[in-house]
Amino acid sequence: MSGAIDPTLHTAALAAVEAAINRALALSPHSNAELAKLEDCVFALHCTAPAISFYLHPGAQGMRLTGFHHGAVTTSIRGKATDFTELASAKDPTATLINGGLELEGDSAPLIELQHILAGLDMDWEAPLVNSLGDVAGHQLAEVLRSTFAWGKQATSSLTRQLDEFIHEEARLSPPRLEVEDFYRDVQDIGMRVDRLQSRTERLRQRLQKLRD
Amino acid sequence: MSDKETTHFGYKEVDKDAKAGMVGEVFHSVAARYDLMNDLMSGGIHRIWKRFTIELSGVRKNNAVLDIAGGTGDLAARFAELVGPQGRVVLADINDSMLKVGRDKLLDQGRLANIEFVQADAQYLPFPDDSFDCVTIAFGLRNVTDITLALRSILRVLKPGGRLLVLEFSKPKNELLSKAYDTYSFRVLPLMGRLVANDSESYQYLAESIRKHPDQNTLKDMMEDAGFCEVEYHNMTGGIVALHRGVKA
Repeated sequence: MSGAIDPTLHTAALAAVEAAINRALALSPHSNAELAKLEDCVFALHCTAPAISFYLHPGAQGMRLTGFHHGAVTTSIRGKATDFTELASAKDPTATLINGGLELEGDSAPLIELQHILAGLDMDWEAPLVNSLGDVAGHQLAEVLRSTFAWGKQATSSLTRQLDEFIHEEARLSPPRLEVEDFYRDVQDIGMRVDRLQSRTERLRQRLQKLRD
Repeated sequence: MSDKETTHFGYKEVDKDAKAGMVGEVFHSVAARYDLMNDLMSGGIHRIWKRFTIELSGVRKNNAVLDIAGGTGDLAARFAELVGPQGRVVLADINDSMLKVGRDKLLDQGRLANIEFVQADAQYLPFPDDSFDCVTIAFGLRNVTDITLALRSILRVLKPGGRLLVLEFSKPKNELLSKAYDTYSFRVLPLMGRLVANDSESYQYLAESIRKHPDQNTLKDMMEDAGFCEVEYHNMTGGIVALHRGVKA
């Protein structure tokens, strides 16, 4: 844990984050059961900017966050807050771990599984709403929230796709990913051919030199 | 002049044999409203201090933990979750009123499978040698008559490699904070005690006993003298509270 922060503040911050995570997990059916599979795993997160370190202990009761851990760690990751955010929201966490700015030590498979569980939280708002507003009002409000979230998700996905198409196809501001990959492949191919040609010419030059001698 | 050995009870000098009884009276008096007063006096921060103690304890599944001066069982409850059904937590307190409040609270929460309740004096712990992986004493050591005797007793019951954690009020590191803390302790605390628990004297004793308790480095030296190794401490809330950790070699 960071030595500059008073343990009271550090611990209070971790307690608040832990409470928020566990509240979200409680609203998502099956998530605790999935976390129970990672019961014996400990994940060390060392954030360099801002400087803060903590440990994640998933379990059947939810997630526990601590500032200290004595013992072996399953996976240790180090990086900036932006790198952690990128990993948390990544569709392909493996690619993010390979290409991103995070340094990883230990087993990456449990970390990827944890990322999938947390990124795939499907919160059921109906139970807490029904408890506080009653069956009818709670159910109706939950329906409204559900359809709003579903519409929001669809709208975001559609907007991203259309924006993608506009940038690549209409405005031609940036080439599509596949074209870029093809281009890089061609460049690599040409590079290799040039290398081969250079070797051949060198060989021919040496032969000519021998004939002259 | 009496030949009897004396010790402090707050700012008073009393016979060594009388201190335990006098401390006992204080805790009989505050037991019923202990949790409420703790929340009021610390603004709830005592929960953060205890949480940090649990983090540093390194307690894991199947461990045996002794919580001395466990009072109303805040630490014991969390330890019971961490050690699991195969683990063992002993909540010990010298004061039967505090122990009853703690036991009732934990039983009401349904925690009984792996918790034992023992009335015990920290100076003469009634457990075999090498019994526990971790011993904690939170806000209790300053009330013990002979701190060295208690530390040696704790060392005896710890397993080799076992940890002692002492959470206790200490000396603030900043002069300004120290002055504000003095004003709070000697003016606000007794007033709060009178209004909420109808007992200002017990809270006056609380403030005085904190000032008489050894500071961070003195307690560290005492732990090392008692035989603990790797002794370290962490100041919390500017040193108002310190958490000392020592290991049995």
